[in-house]
Amino acid sequence: MQAVLSSDYSFAQFRFLERLLLVHGRWSYLRMCKFLRYFFYKNFTFTFVHFWYAFFCGFSAQTVYDEWFITLYNLVYTALPVLGMSLFDQDVNDTWSFQHPNLYVPGQLNQYFSKTAFFKCALHSVYSSVVLFFIPYAAMYDTVRDDGRDIADYQSFALLAQTCLVITVCIQLCLDMSYWTAVNQFFVWGSLAMYFVVTFSMYSNGTHINFPASFPFIGTARNSLNQPNVWLTILLTSILCVLPVVAYRFLLIQLRPTINDKVGTLTNHTGFCS
Amino acid sequence: MAPSYNAKEEDGHQPGATGHGGAGTMTNKKPDNTAFKQQRLPAWQPILTAGTVLPAFFVIGLIFIPIGFILIVYGLTLLIDYTGVDMSSPCYNCSQSYSWNNTQSCTCSVHFSLDQPFESNVFMYYGLSNFYQNHRRYVKSRDDSQLNGDKTSLQYHICTLNRCSKECEPYRSSDKPIAPCGAIANSLFNDTLELYYIDPNGSRTAIPLVKKGIAWWTDKHVKFRNPSGNNNLTVVFQGTSKPVNWRKPVFELDPLDSDNNGFINEDFIVWMRTAALPTFRKLYCIIQKKPNNMTPTLPRGEYILEVTYNYPVRSFDGRKRMILSTISWMGGKNPFLGIAYITVGSVCFCLGLVLLSIHYRYGKRNNSAEISS
Repeated sequence: MQAVLSSDYSFAQFRFLERLLLVHGRWSYLRMCKFLRYFFYKNFTFTFVHFWYAFFCGFSAQTVYDEWFITLYNLVYTALPVLGMSLFDQDVNDTWSFQHPNLYVPGQLNQYFSKTAFFKCALHSVYSSVVLFFIPYAAMYDTVRDDGRDIADYQSFALLAQTCLVITVCIQLCLDMSYWTAVNQFFVWGSLAMYFVVTFSMYSNGTHINFPASFPFIGTARNSLNQPNVWLTILLTSILCVLPVVAYRFLLIQLRPTINDKVGTLTNHTGFCS
Repeated sequence: MAPSYNAKEEDGHQPGATGHGGAGTMTNKKPDNTAFKQQRLPAWQPILTAGTVLPAFFVIGLIFIPIGFILIVYGLTLLIDYTGVDMSSPCYNCSQSYSWNNTQSCTCSVHFSLDQPFESNVFMYYGLSNFYQNHRRYVKSRDDSQLNGDKTSLQYHICTLNRCSKECEPYRSSDKPIAPCGAIANSLFNDTLELYYIDPNGSRTAIPLVKKGIAWWTDKHVKFRNPSGNNNLTVVFQGTSKPVNWRKPVFELDPLDSDNNGFINEDFIVWMRTAALPTFRKLYCIIQKKPNNMTPTLPRGEYILEVTYNYPVRSFDGRKRMILSTISWMGGKNPFLGIAYITVGSVCFCLGLVLLSIHYRYGKRNNSAEISS
């Protein structure tokens, strides 16, 4: 009784140990590592963009993004999707985990989150931040709207940069997730929809009239998101951020497939998607 | 290999638990055998196979390249730098002899010629370089409630009680509260630009410049409002002083047009929309197209730009420009997006070909079902 009270897991029969280790333990390791890698990625990317902007704002620590976006980014826009991934993700289902116990080896070798993995994640973030800053910078340099008025102002640039960021990290999450349940779908698309809903309502007339100093971005969403220029920039930025990742992962699967990849291919071929 | 595990065989009841109340009330701590709690939710499990990745690369390449070609739309742009850096430049004397207390404005004339006629609406911008409107202290230095017509920030006793925006310091009040306060308003661009066309026979005609419709609709009608109370803005702004570096107070920005005077003056609104980058352009006026559509808005020929040089930029090594531009559906002339799309599309397509060859050479080998490693 005392052993049970002071332990992390307790179970009644020895045969439960196999399931605990090979299925739940392995999934837990996988989910933790994916969560950590993705979390570092999205926050490093978010922060490194400010590093590049420093060169263009006189090193005055001016933020690229709207202050409300900075507050809500980790709280609302990217919280639930990553939570969904860390709760539900599975790379292979439990039956196959039992049949191939050597799937457990990557956990023993600390392969999914090591110093190398962290360094690769940081490098990926640096690349993403370069794309997420310089493509909007070049697209907005000395540009105007299609009716001749301003679009290269600070507020429109902030909106463009933050929309590119949210969409890019969303697509990156979609690439990282390997088990798409209905709950995950709801979290991901819901968060993206929430971003647009919250942005449009914060930038609306009503919020500005009632709190002018807190919501100065009035009209920005309406005036810049109706420009084809802006949407084309967002499309280019997201695709450019994500393509190298897809190419790299595909190459790894072709040239150095891991046990997970092979089992995953088998799973797909024999139609075991539950 | 373990037999496939059946959750119903699980022994869930705890030996020492509960017997309180006898049979029938023993609590069962077994988790529910639902798909959600047993992690068996139906799911889609995509993996990166050649069948999905390679077509995706080719499709993206084939879509981006034509988009890039469509985006390379060239409008016409003309840029004239009138800072007056060189001794030979017409505005050199004005740039040298600048002082804040000048009551006499300095004017200079810049000649230029258009090789191609400009059709349809032509937009005239003033551009500044090396001017950091995106510096953090500068961006903060405004009072949006005051600009929205809030009267409390115009009253002296309220300002001294620290109820009006502290962000405007040191441009918050001199002896009276400053309207509009802040560094952004204080540095309002105040050069005047006029354009004249020189006929082949030598006579000058002034080109009509429309100074309305240059600011965003939401800025002009929602964000910026004059304080209410009186149609006469001189009365409304009584008890305030003009910003330190302005020559006229805010209610004299356009005394002839009450819809363009005070805080809702469009030049002022355009300036208050701070730029994101140190090189920027702001809309100054619109040259409307001729009603008969037969003559171009700006025909080929010689022109004169008359500048009333009020705005000093030499002290921080800045540059001032006048830009004439026609607009397409993509905005002004910026070929970057077109070139970027073409580049990314071609790289994507080539990468697809490379990956295809790698897949054929190495991928098939590893697809055999041996997982024992």
